[in-house]
Amino acid sequence: MRRGNKVWWWFIMIIGILYFFLPLVATFIFSLKAKLGVLSFQAYTNVINNPAFVYNFTASVIWALLTIVVGILLFVPTAYLIRLRVPKARAAVEFITLLPFVIPAIVFVFGLVRTFSQPPLLIVDSPVLLVAGYTVLSMPYMYRAIDTGLRAIDVRTLTEAGQSLGAGWGSILFDIILPNIRVAILSGAFLSFAIVIGEFILAQYLVKPAFAPYMAYMIQQKAYEPAAMAIISFALTWAAMGIISLVGRGNEQAQVGGGH
Amino acid sequence: MQTKKFMFSLISIMVATAFVLSACGGAAAVPDVAAGYTGSVVASVPQALVTACKSEGMLTIIATPPDWANYGEIFSDFELTSGVKINSLNPNAGSAEELAAIEANKSNKGPQAPDIVDVGYAYGATGIAAGDYQAYKVSNWDKIPDTVLGIPAKDPNGMWIGGYYGVMAMIVNTAVVKNVPANWSDLLKPEYKGQVALAGDPRSSNQAIQTVFAAALANGGSLDNAQPGLDWFNQLNQTGNFVPVIAKPGTISQGATPIVFTWDYLAFGYKDAAAGNPPETVSYPSPTIASMYVQAISAYAPHPNCAKLWMEVLHSDEGQLAWMKGYAHGVQQADLESRGVIPADLKAKLPASSAFSSAVSPTPDQLSAALTLIKAGWMTTVNVDIPTPAP
Amino acid sequence: MTTFDEKRDAPEARPARRKMSWAWLGVMPFFLFAFIFLLYPSSTIVVRSFIDPNTHAFTFKNILALFGNHYILGAYWISIEISLLTSVGGGVFGFLLAYAAIRGGLPKFMRSALMTFCGVASNFAGVPLAFAFIALLSPTGMLIGWLRELGYNPYFHGFTLYTFWGLSIVYMYFQFPLMVLIIAPAIDGLRREWLEASENLGASSFQYWRYVAFPILLPSIMGTMILLFGNSFGAFATAQALTGGQINLVTIVIGSQISGDVLGNPGLGYALALGMVVIMALAIIGYTLLQRRTERWLR
Repeated sequence: MRRGNKVWWWFIMIIGILYFFLPLVATFIFSLKAKLGVLSFQAYTNVINNPAFVYNFTASVIWALLTIVVGILLFVPTAYLIRLRVPKARAAVEFITLLPFVIPAIVFVFGLVRTFSQPPLLIVDSPVLLVAGYTVLSMPYMYRAIDTGLRAIDVRTLTEAGQSLGAGWGSILFDIILPNIRVAILSGAFLSFAIVIGEFILAQYLVKPAFAPYMAYMIQQKAYEPAAMAIISFALTWAAMGIISLVGRGNEQAQVGGGH
Repeated sequence: MQTKKFMFSLISIMVATAFVLSACGGAAAVPDVAAGYTGSVVASVPQALVTACKSEGMLTIIATPPDWANYGEIFSDFELTSGVKINSLNPNAGSAEELAAIEANKSNKGPQAPDIVDVGYAYGATGIAAGDYQAYKVSNWDKIPDTVLGIPAKDPNGMWIGGYYGVMAMIVNTAVVKNVPANWSDLLKPEYKGQVALAGDPRSSNQAIQTVFAAALANGGSLDNAQPGLDWFNQLNQTGNFVPVIAKPGTISQGATPIVFTWDYLAFGYKDAAAGNPPETVSYPSPTIASMYVQAISAYAPHPNCAKLWMEVLHSDEGQLAWMKGYAHGVQQADLESRGVIPADLKAKLPASSAFSSAVSPTPDQLSAALTLIKAGWMTTVNVDIPTPAP
Repeated sequence: MTTFDEKRDAPEARPARRKMSWAWLGVMPFFLFAFIFLLYPSSTIVVRSFIDPNTHAFTFKNILALFGNHYILGAYWISIEISLLTSVGGGVFGFLLAYAAIRGGLPKFMRSALMTFCGVASNFAGVPLAFAFIALLSPTGMLIGWLRELGYNPYFHGFTLYTFWGLSIVYMYFQFPLMVLIIAPAIDGLRREWLEASENLGASSFQYWRYVAFPILLPSIMGTMILLFGNSFGAFATAQALTGGQINLVTIVIGSQISGDVLGNPGLGYALALGMVVIMALAIIGYTLLQRRTERWLR
């Protein structure tokens, strides 16, 4: 565009920056007002010392870790086999990994609750269902990340090299393939982490402890503590996504997610 | 080889962390719903119920936030007495939704099915008629008076039992509102634009409906005629002073709903919780209305013994005192006073009864008539672009 | 081996077939998982929306009841309204923002800063986002406070954060980033040579955009807006946390239905969810079709 128009683009950028940063600034300032008249970190102290917060936040971290593990164990072998041996199944797998985009989380949890709250599959109380649900929600991102990682390496050659050296399937997967897609896995893992920590709907309706429903409850009850929690949440998300950026080396894929 | 070890250790560390955290979380942290409250073991409950409840393993309660009349302490009492965790559903639900939840979950034995409800006075009769309740007479049955404030405090068959009553009060966030309104007509002044809110949805929340009823008493209506209340709220809405946001302690402190009508026990509780930041005042409008909340066991309760144990705890000394600490007026208050069981500092904390001497209590029939009128009339008379029932 | 039999096929190479079946076995866990925890629950909803809750017979009654129920139609209408508003608004501003960072002549670091921030912002959605806007735009919010000091109180003039317009403003926070992240590659695909060529031929800015840039970018922009539409339509946590469930969106109604049959008819609840899935599916299909059209130019 012509030089003169740069002003216009600066204007747009500034509006954008204002829009994105003002809510964060407002939240941060609000979170410092817990003590009347002075700015302090009282709200943060209240939040961190609250056993309910620790309980719910720890629970979310646990769910996130379990979801990542399940994701790795389930998707790495699958993506590997699809790429190498069973290309015919690719279309079916791609369809399945895209399905969570078509089925919004609220409808998904509706299905989960109705399907699994009657015998014979009465597992609606079980954490297994929650972790499975989270795995489904993070599947498009986790599977994509792993698949992209596999695409970047020459899977066939590596496998054949391993076989010719006498390695069995397990060894090939864990000693050869996995290390080479470490970066992709980490990227998917951190994205899944961010998604699960921020996820509200599943935990709320499957009645399990988690950070987001707890925070929603606190918004109704308190003024300053939710602000502190929002900042903590943002900092965590920033950290997770920042690590992904570092690890992914400027990979600009649409890394969008999170239950909204 | 090193990277294989790396991946294995990464995964094992994650799984181990998960287990350690869950162990720590489970042992050290008090379960969510009673967190921050210290209760005690209630010795006077039937031990057979305690054992039976232990084998059921859970109590599902609905629409009962822990800071509602100090329920948190009663949760703690129950959990310490039984060793069983309480599963709290939908703290924001209104009485109508509680009954709807019972009916929707008739065949569901999962965590979405409530065992116990705490509903507004009129919903005692409604629930019996709909077959939502099962009868249980607690061991302190005879200590519960037959009537309180002129209305029955327990169903003769034990289908529901009155637990506590509240008096409609007004709480004001004085950091936002400089001049506290002195009476109902003050509220129509322009300085209170966008500041007056209800504590529930008037189509389903007992509390909100009774606020409208109280407004009727102050504006030419009576216990038999609630229509002026709807008209007054219509007027409030026309002036722009009414804000169609359901008030919660958070919204009061955050300033979104700085003037709210709510039960006095809730108001005093919010004020204490705010701890001066922001400063809040509680006053009683005149005239005002008093209303009892009743508790009942779901006819389809997945954990009936836990539900019965819960009722026992509610009507023990510990339960009644806990409610009083939460500023609620327990139904057994007279009995506790006669036995000298109420601590002096608690007596000092409670508001003097002269403050709410203008409180009247409608009979069940008057209440049902008003409820029906207000529920139906809200959308037509007041015509506010309002809220769906909160989930 | 046994004696040779003419009726049987010639023996096949055993090792190859063994590998094939092992591989299929290896992907079975995935399919089993997907079936139990995704396909089966989703199909439950689809199937039950065609079943009468009382007679358990197949029926279209539930679907038809959707159209006769004012409350539900109102919910769909509001959801569609807000989704249209935030997809178009989000799409337009998101595109401008992306173009500003990529081709607007701004310092180079702004592009990566914008991309990184957008990645974070799109994950900040839901409960924390709702509160962030409460801190900014509630009656005692920071921005409202500034405006009041200047003598203007938006709340006295009918503005409120807790309904449609306020929610739209909040939704933009995850719509802009989504647009930026997805449209960036398309903007990259606009080759500088085309701009230079059109300038050499004496075209004005307007003509460049009208005849060169927009026709190329339009399918991508439209496709992404459709995606934004779906994104907004399916949003739940933000609206729930901001309004306490007090706004009549389809997602909020489904949420109430999960808690306790507020519609009074379970079949209707399933039909409602099905309707939602249909709309989302149309959105994804629309997006995919339009993306394919753009890809022609993005080599």
